[in-house]
Amino acid sequence: MPEFDVLVIGGGASGLRAAIAAKEAGASVGLISKAHPLRTHTGLIQGGLNAPLDPDDSPESFAADTMQAGDGLCDSEAVKTFAGEAARDVLWLERAGTPFNRDAQGKLAFRAFGSNSRNRSVFADDRTGHMALQVLYEQLQRARVTAFEEWYVTSLVIEDGACTGALALGLRSGSLEAFSARAVILATGGLGRLYAPSTGSVGTTGDGQSLAYQAGAGLVDMEFVQFHPMIFPAGPGLLITEATLGEGAQLVDAKGAAVDTRGLPRHQLALATQSSNGDSAKIDLRPIGAANIMTRFPQTHELVKAMSGLDVTQEAIPVRPAAHRPMGGIETNASGETSIRGLFAAGECASNGVHGASRMAGNTLTEALVFGRRAGEAAASHARLESRKSVSQSRLGDEENRIQGITGENTSGDTPGKLHAELTALMDQQVGLVRDAAGLDAAIGKIRGLKDRYSRIKIGATTRVFNYGLTGYFEVGAMLTCAELIAVSARQRTETRGAHRRSDFPAKDDANWSAHTTARLVDGSPAVEKKPITAA
Amino acid sequence: MEVTFNAYRREPGEAEYRRGVYKLDLPEDATIMDGMLKIRDEEDPNFAFRGSCLRGYCGDCMMSINGKNTFACTAKVANFMNRPEIALRPIRMVPVIKDLVFDWDAFMWNKIKVLNPWIEPQESTDGVRTVPDKVMADLRNAMSCYYCGLCDEGCTVLPVDMKFLGPAALTKAYRLAADPRDKNPGEHLKMAQQAEGIWDCVHCYEASEHCPRNIGPTERIVQLRDMAFEKGITNERVARHHTSFAASVKASGWLDEARLAIESEGLTNISGLMKLLPIAARAAIKGKAPIPYLHHKRPGAKRITEIFEKGDERGK
Ligand SMILES: Cc1cc2nc3c(=O)[nH]c(=O)nc-3n(C[C@H](O)[C@H](O)[C@H](O)COP(=O)(O)OP(=O)(O)OC[C@H]3O[C@@H](n4cnc5c(N)ncnc54)[C@H](O)[C@@H]3O)c2cc1C
Ligand code: SF4
Repeated sequence: MPEFDVLVIGGGASGLRAAIAAKEAGASVGLISKAHPLRTHTGLIQGGLNAPLDPDDSPESFAADTMQAGDGLCDSEAVKTFAGEAARDVLWLERAGTPFNRDAQGKLAFRAFGSNSRNRSVFADDRTGHMALQVLYEQLQRARVTAFEEWYVTSLVIEDGACTGALALGLRSGSLEAFSARAVILATGGLGRLYAPSTGSVGTTGDGQSLAYQAGAGLVDMEFVQFHPMIFPAGPGLLITEATLGEGAQLVDAKGAAVDTRGLPRHQLALATQSSNGDSAKIDLRPIGAANIMTRFPQTHELVKAMSGLDVTQEAIPVRPAAHRPMGGIETNASGETSIRGLFAAGECASNGVHGASRMAGNTLTEALVFGRRAGEAAASHARLESRKSVSQSRLGDEENRIQGITGENTSGDTPGKLHAELTALMDQQVGLVRDAAGLDAAIGKIRGLKDRYSRIKIGATTRVFNYGLTGYFEVGAMLTCAELIAVSARQRTETRGAHRRSDFPAKDDANWSAHTTARLVDGSPAVEKKPITAA
Repeated sequence: MEVTFNAYRREPGEAEYRRGVYKLDLPEDATIMDGMLKIRDEEDPNFAFRGSCLRGYCGDCMMSINGKNTFACTAKVANFMNRPEIALRPIRMVPVIKDLVFDWDAFMWNKIKVLNPWIEPQESTDGVRTVPDKVMADLRNAMSCYYCGLCDEGCTVLPVDMKFLGPAALTKAYRLAADPRDKNPGEHLKMAQQAEGIWDCVHCYEASEHCPRNIGPTERIVQLRDMAFEKGITNERVARHHTSFAASVKASGWLDEARLAIESEGLTNISGLMKLLPIAARAAIKGKAPIPYLHHKRPGAKRITEIFEKGDERGK
């Protein structure tokens, strides 16, 4: 049975950074990832990442912009830590080998991105994530972290109120294993696939949020799901980075009017590209110039062409808003600690109040680096004090039985994919960009109906080796859990703020709602409470 | 639209593969990936294939579709309707674990791992080294590699020697060796020129022709060799290559490519010589190598021999 001081679940930016930091702090570290780290969602990052690196920029200015985007719901202490440490973590990534673009003097180039009040984002063309991910994975190998690539975590192990490990299915071996650890870090990413179209890759199914919730942790601000304003509606949805706007691209709304995008936060941009008639908003990259498109946005050019045959150097392309990134997630402090002893979380699956109600473009990769590192360091310190407990054989046996119980002939008439399709349709319509009480009530009812049908599905697995049918079953279960939490939290918040828009409560209500929501599992269903915002 | 997929199916441990035939009703703009997901979801949860980003960013779903190597997630079904059934197969030479799930570890990841694939960062925390963007742009080009393995698939050395690191891993070696920020410059060059490394490449340029990202994996290997020469890191085979090159020109006035290739490998190196056979065969097919192979003297060869002899005299 593998045993580590620190077990990291997730091979994206936050998990890789956490694992490296924990290892450097002296812990033995294992990292589990359901996809090969180089194929994970982080590789999709395009535009860049923020840090106050320019000599005349400052952490204060960066913090102020982040708070502004967060629409009154940021925890200022978390933002202060974030803005204060961003430069050092981004420089770490640079020194480790990320080939960020340079200016004419050979210094780091900064691009205009999102609602940053100044050019603050470093970038590698429009493949920032692809480059950063390679460098993080390189450094993971340098740190000699033991990586379990293509292993799927099915449950966390909680004993006497503390997290002591996880149970995971090796896709290649087909066997279920118990991983014991003194501290566990969840870095499992987002939940984009609750919606279609979305910007999410296959694995963004909210697994970590669901695992933590089932284990008793609080999930905070789940109602805030950011919609990205510029999704080219081909296939599952292709994101056109807002960095194109910073470099001259022109956005035109569905009525044909040019949109002044300067300083607009994402949730307002998303409203601008929404269309109620059949016409579509368009993004025109041509003002950037063909040569600059090819050197600074080569991937955008390549993928739009591959998905549709259209050439962004020749014509404007249609865009619409689509689900992108949750602000809410597993409740943590700025060291990644959750409400469960020994359980930490970082990155897109976590929420420490840094994004508030809406996230500024370019802040998530920085967040993954800063809070990934902090969670890694904190978990290593925790592990030094925690005595070793091995996951018991009986716990492993119980999980084996649970999996046996869902394999067999499927007579339910449903499949995970069918439920997933129904789920995305209702999320788009009733728990999407604009919500109201009636729609949310209906959605909650439907989600509970889907959960009920889900419980009767079986998977006819001949072998567990690379059985994505089986892991897909778990993923749909996680998505149903997250969907319910988003809908009940959204129902509770009777105001409009940041990414949460209620047509029946169209104004911001500071008197009642300068507060987070926290959802917890109580007697088998979610209970939502208000939680005060922490100020500096 | 009605389509039929004919997919490679094989359980772990089975010697033979079977064809899984699936009739599907898909939207006009569906991708091959959409169709495969539908099969997995509606007909057979055991149908195994990888896929992650769904939009052509990540390289995970590389496979052969009607004989063309491409990504299932960006391949439109409508473009593959020229046959009654759309054939989904593994790419050439990659060991299969199950169905369309390949053993990337054996094929590519493990070969990258032996290179110690990371740079040793400088400790300094004061600011960022100034580097011309030209250098970074070159790294960005090499690092746009999405580890799709197509260069390895096209490689002419790998079929004869699976131990050869291959162009994908060597492109990674280039990215590391060319990074000016490495604290131990030269380390990766040493790694890259290990046995089965850069000197085993035969420069057939197939890798570059296969690369969908225009990274030029073959050119990267050539650059690594040049860098190794500059640093004085060469091995015995390279020295033989140079001696043979000079001897050939001296004797006939021009380069006898067959002699060069054979002598570079070493006359007693059977496995090295075996690697040359496919290239020789292809050269013959393309009319680049006359059969029977005879190397003629160039007009004026005598004069060239004299120049060489003069040079040899001076060098003494
Ligand atoms: C198209 C696009 C463009 C973007 N552009 C930008 C940008 O310009 N700037 C910016 O800052 N951000 C951007 N983002 C957001 C950014 O990509 C994410 O927020 C960030 O990558 C999240 O990193 P992460 O490490 O938290 O999660 P992920 O990268 O999603 O990693 C999650 C990891 O957890 C693993 N995992 C999940 N569940 C399990 C399980 N059950 N068992 C085992 N392993 C599991 C996965 O395999 C994966 O390795 C963009 C996102 C998209 C989609
Ligand atoms: S170098 Fe090109 S062909 Fe080779 S793995 Fe990378 S992207 Fe694919």
